[in-house]
Amino acid sequence: MSARQIRRGVQIVFLLTFFGLVLLARMAPGGKAMAGVEWFFHFDPLILLATALSAHAVAKAGLLALAVVGLTLVAGRVFCGWICPLGTVHAAAGWLLGRLWPDRKRREHWSSWQLAKYYALVAFLVMAVLGSHWGTLWDPLVLLYRSTAAGLLPGAQWAVEESTTPLAQSDNRAAQAVSKYAAEPAYTFLRDNVFGGVDRQRQAFWGGGLILALFVGLLLLNRYRPRFWCRYLCPLGGLLGLLAWRPLLRRAVRPESCNQCDLCAQGCHGAAAVVPGDQWKPSECFVCLDCTDQCRRDSLAFTWTWPWRREPVVRPVDLSKRAVLGSAVGGLAALMLLRITPEARGRTLNAELIRPPGARPEREFLQRCTGCGVCIQICPTGGLQPAFLEAGLEGLWTPHLLPQIGPCSYNCNLCTQVCPPQAIAPLTLEEKQKLKIGLAAIDVSRCLPYAFGRPCTVCEECCPVPDKAIYLIESTVHVRGGGQQTLKQPQIDPAKCTGCGQCEKMCVLRDRPAIHVSATNESRTSDNQPILGDASPY
Amino acid sequence: MWMQSRRDFLVASAAGALALPAGVLLAGPAGKPVDMTIARWAGAKRLSNAQIDEAAGKMTAKAIEALGGMKRFVKRGDVVWIKPNIGWDRKPELAANTNPQIVAALVRLALEAGAKTVKVGDNPVHPAGKTYESSGIAAAAKAAGAKVVYLDKSRFRKAAIGGEIVREIPVYPEIMDCDVVINAPLVKHHVMSTLTMCMKNYLGVVENRQVFHQNLPVCIADITRYMKAAQSRLHLLEGVRVLTGHGPTGGNLADVQVKMTLAAGTDPVALDAWGAELVGKQPSQIGSVVHGQKEGLGTIDYRSLALREIAVS
Repeated sequence: MSARQIRRGVQIVFLLTFFGLVLLARMAPGGKAMAGVEWFFHFDPLILLATALSAHAVAKAGLLALAVVGLTLVAGRVFCGWICPLGTVHAAAGWLLGRLWPDRKRREHWSSWQLAKYYALVAFLVMAVLGSHWGTLWDPLVLLYRSTAAGLLPGAQWAVEESTTPLAQSDNRAAQAVSKYAAEPAYTFLRDNVFGGVDRQRQAFWGGGLILALFVGLLLLNRYRPRFWCRYLCPLGGLLGLLAWRPLLRRAVRPESCNQCDLCAQGCHGAAAVVPGDQWKPSECFVCLDCTDQCRRDSLAFTWTWPWRREPVVRPVDLSKRAVLGSAVGGLAALMLLRITPEARGRTLNAELIRPPGARPEREFLQRCTGCGVCIQICPTGGLQPAFLEAGLEGLWTPHLLPQIGPCSYNCNLCTQVCPPQAIAPLTLEEKQKLKIGLAAIDVSRCLPYAFGRPCTVCEECCPVPDKAIYLIESTVHVRGGGQQTLKQPQIDPAKCTGCGQCEKMCVLRDRPAIHVSATNESRTSDNQPILGDASPY
Repeated sequence: MWMQSRRDFLVASAAGALALPAGVLLAGPAGKPVDMTIARWAGAKRLSNAQIDEAAGKMTAKAIEALGGMKRFVKRGDVVWIKPNIGWDRKPELAANTNPQIVAALVRLALEAGAKTVKVGDNPVHPAGKTYESSGIAAAAKAAGAKVVYLDKSRFRKAAIGGEIVREIPVYPEIMDCDVVINAPLVKHHVMSTLTMCMKNYLGVVENRQVFHQNLPVCIADITRYMKAAQSRLHLLEGVRVLTGHGPTGGNLADVQVKMTLAAGTDPVALDAWGAELVGKQPSQIGSVVHGQKEGLGTIDYRSLALREIAVS
């Protein structure tokens, strides 16, 4: 078995593990989250470093990332070549695009554009020091998870549902008979095991198209240069490249047998050599070992050596001091652009930004949230949505609740169990049920018993708080023609309302519900608790 | 009111109890098919939750037997849908959903009567996966041999109901295509209709049910009429645990009363009238019962039916 075959096997195992964990992000019997669904992120050194810089905090499990740091110090960017699932997806996309549109044989040598990822990393780390976690939005694991959860899976689900529904709707019996042995079991299997189960039907996310388009766009760049993302853009790749400055595993060329045919550069994933056959940069090499397979004269080999040994020679990253400084200033400027909003400056509060239960106060939340989407993937009602501009640009793709799509389920605390950097703090179910994420308010200009003289009590009926946060008052209203009618009108007890939004979800008026939850009274910050009472500060 | 009839029943059955150790007693007119049976628990008084569930299953079997057996409703080879109330993510003790052992007993009876497939399903308000699990119904029904069906939101189909108010509403085709639909709700407090029982339980076969609350009695009657045409003839109303406040969601044990009784029959209006009396309400106070009688869906005076009352121990 060649080194390439072994590597591909390892890559496929990690890729399947990653997607497996995405699919397992759901409720296990008994109301707990499946254990370990967020564990890939704990191995991510960029998340560890950025969280440490921005929040001055480290989740204990996040220290596992030190294993990847150690691996990189010893053997270079093995993570990129062998483990990273996004790297594998890009490698596969590059291979596929190469098959679809064959090109002349490429010779890929290092280009100074590959330094871009280091400068981006510098800018992101400066932003992190100033308390923004924005850089981790572009972490490869985060990018792949979010694209899968909010783009790929809903897209695939759309295709499957749309293709099976028309027949079932036109004649269910015929559909059952036709598809009894293949299509229907396959559909049920996909629904229950791939698309997140019966509660995640027709899942859709605001901005999901954008997330998907971005993902596909990045894949298409492999047509221009293989592993474009990994070579030029990936901030985690940049971090690992810096760590791989003098690894123990190095590529050695035997000059006596090398005839500079440059076959080694033809399949090089990272464009790691500066000139044919020589001047190898460990910071760019994914240690895929393809070059040793390619070489027909057996003049290339990876060998172990001591760190203080100069041989085999390695080329350094070669960052320019001026550009590093420029990137730092760029990061600062970018953060300024993100933060000069009335909301970020504390001049306004955003009523529509309902964070998941257990979310830390907004500033702390943004210091930690990577926008990975595990909470969005695991939310059983699909109500947790990635923000586009709702939380300001700094809060891009952070989770917020849209009760009209799905409320915060009363007996569920899944999102608080899985957040890798604990931007959503862990809560027991009892703690979560007492926590307020907002407050419902009735729009009396639309609510049926108030505005239209018709009975309706749906919101009261479905309020999941055992003692009911919504209560009914018998009132006499005037109706057309001068008569009077007695109706039960709903009112809200702010001491009991948790802001779960079940009422908003069930309101008869579906386009603009007559009961609407805002972030008012949220437990996580005393800044937004105008109604005195027993709303306890988080 | 029902206390009185219970006393009558106890007196009448004192002799019979000696003759029939199983405790099955006949109180209705013989020869005529029975329209409704009421089963009451006459066994041990202090029961654990598991024992209550077990007793509920026993009472179900006896009530259906007294009604003439499941074969009266289910033919060999039929596909049967059992429609319990699985509305809320609550445990069985909180009486927000039908008792799981009642559902299991119905499944077993239907299978014994020769049903080809028995499906169990509802359209919950809370997330279905968790609700089916917490209610205990998924596990119990599966163990009894049923196919637990989660409703597919994209497969609802708009149907012309032709009701007084409800003209068109999305219904679930798989339910409509079954040969028999068994309606198995429980008695619960409901702020709008005061009580939710047999007729209101049908709201689980449609989508967008919120709109009905503007005129529940008429809308419920519309759906009941439609379901009656769709082979829904057998109803079983649980009064084992009843929810007396903060309904229909519940969540407080204090709102639950253990009544240890249930009724089965072919007349949803009569059963609902019985359910109203069970929690001390006049059937004439319940809009849907009154309107149901007016619409000819059944009778409010359940005692005028061929009625059997049985004690189960």
